[in-house]
Amino acid sequence: MKKSNIATLIVLFALIPATLYFGTILPGRSYYFTGTLIVIELLIPFFMAFEGRKPQARELVTIAVMCALAVAARAAIPIPNFKAIFAVIMISGIAFGAETGFLVGAISAFASNFFYGQGPYTPWQMLGYGVAGLIAGFSFAKKRLPRKPLVMAVFGFISVVLIVGPVLDTSSVFLTLPAISWGTAWPLYISGFSVNVSQGICTFLVLLLLGKPLLEKLDRLKVKYGMMEAHDDGV
Amino acid sequence: MNTSKYDAFSKRHPLVNFLFFIGAIGCGVVIQHPAYLIAGVMGGGTYYLLLNGKKGWKMILGMLPMFVILTVINPLLNAYGVTVLFHLFGRPYTLEALMYGAAIAGVFVVMLLWFGCYNAVLTSDKFTSLFGNLIPALSLLLVMVLRMIPNFIRKAKQIIGARKSIGKGAGDESTTKEKVNDGMTVLSALTDWALEGSVITGDSMRARGYGTAKRTSFQIYRMTAMDWTLMGMIVTLLFVVIACGANGSMTATFTPDLYIAPITGLNTLGFIAYCAFLLIPTALHIKEAIQWHISRSKI
Repeated sequence: MKKSNIATLIVLFALIPATLYFGTILPGRSYYFTGTLIVIELLIPFFMAFEGRKPQARELVTIAVMCALAVAARAAIPIPNFKAIFAVIMISGIAFGAETGFLVGAISAFASNFFYGQGPYTPWQMLGYGVAGLIAGFSFAKKRLPRKPLVMAVFGFISVVLIVGPVLDTSSVFLTLPAISWGTAWPLYISGFSVNVSQGICTFLVLLLLGKPLLEKLDRLKVKYGMMEAHDDGV
Repeated sequence: MNTSKYDAFSKRHPLVNFLFFIGAIGCGVVIQHPAYLIAGVMGGGTYYLLLNGKKGWKMILGMLPMFVILTVINPLLNAYGVTVLFHLFGRPYTLEALMYGAAIAGVFVVMLLWFGCYNAVLTSDKFTSLFGNLIPALSLLLVMVLRMIPNFIRKAKQIIGARKSIGKGAGDESTTKEKVNDGMTVLSALTDWALEGSVITGDSMRARGYGTAKRTSFQIYRMTAMDWTLMGMIVTLLFVVIACGANGSMTATFTPDLYIAPITGLNTLGFIAYCAFLLIPTALHIKEAIQWHISRSKI
């Protein structure tokens, strides 16, 4: 068995239950502490898989370029809460597979926070952005979904509004609420909803207009230089 | 962040910095005891001001309204507690819930302050040097991304400028549609240029032997006697704090019944250890400043 697979099993069946148990015996309000520990533990297997793979120079640089593009895309469209970062992450996932998509998302969240400030939300952002790349990579692998602009755009909108946005909102729920129940949490999710929709619309537009040409550029690179073949199952 | 150049704690080994922030932020998140919260705000706030100078006051004052809002909101969501202050929308507004809100808001402020210090002290170069041996590929990836981001933003501005000069591109008075369309064109051009460069960089790395042997990393930071001493202090103090915490000396529950562990007897030890721990960077900064003052006055 590969090292990273063993790590995944350890994280899922030992580390996370242990953290949950430890969280319940901690005094007071430990949602945020426990939640963040679990988020960090979820990131570990992906990072170990990447280290274990011993990536080639070209693969490394291409991933770095996608991360930097995702962050720099903030500068390309000068409208607040309307950034192409999710679209670029999803395109990387679609082009290079789920694992690379996750990596591009997590690293671009972390790297962009060196410019905009790290905070208690950093691990959650890394997970949320990573998941955006992961699900895009998984859903479009093996032609599960057709790579048509409209399909990608709708998929992007739905995953930002329903999956990535709520992950980020959960970090503020854990951070600011004393007692967590559906009754106390919904105002925060609702206030985050408008931002999520705005980001979702941006992702929709970028994937609709740019998805196809960007994918063609990346696929051409992949074919021409024979790099980063996604595994057969798309994970 | 010019002032941080003269900060003594920032000059210590990244491992010492990292360990301290793990401890400070970790304790800050978990402990809700009012005395410890005040200690956290004082410790974090002082160091934040030392790092940021006058600019820091603006940020700290900006936290005040947030603190108040988070405090008064809690009793609206949480009606537990025995001392009813008044009724709002038919729900009791209790003193205990209000104090609980203040504690939660305090935790939030402590965390923001320590993260503010973290951002000034643990810069990206320190982070990558700290993890360069543990996660070599990821650290290299991070270094490349951090180098490319400013590079790409500069290139994006060049592309925007070039398009403007031939009468294309969006200005301030453009509609949202124009801005989005223009952004797409810029992003597309930027991607082409960046991917072209990535293959060249990758091949150049390979030609120079990347991946042919185990990569060693150059370490600019060395653990000095001072660093070991500080590390010993951090670990010991944290151990005392955690041991006292396990003993219940920093327990504070607010609802339904108010219980705050008194700071007497053995509980004092934990509190003193926590204060001493949080004051490490500030003390180091002041010590250095005094030494500098004395050595300069001798000249």
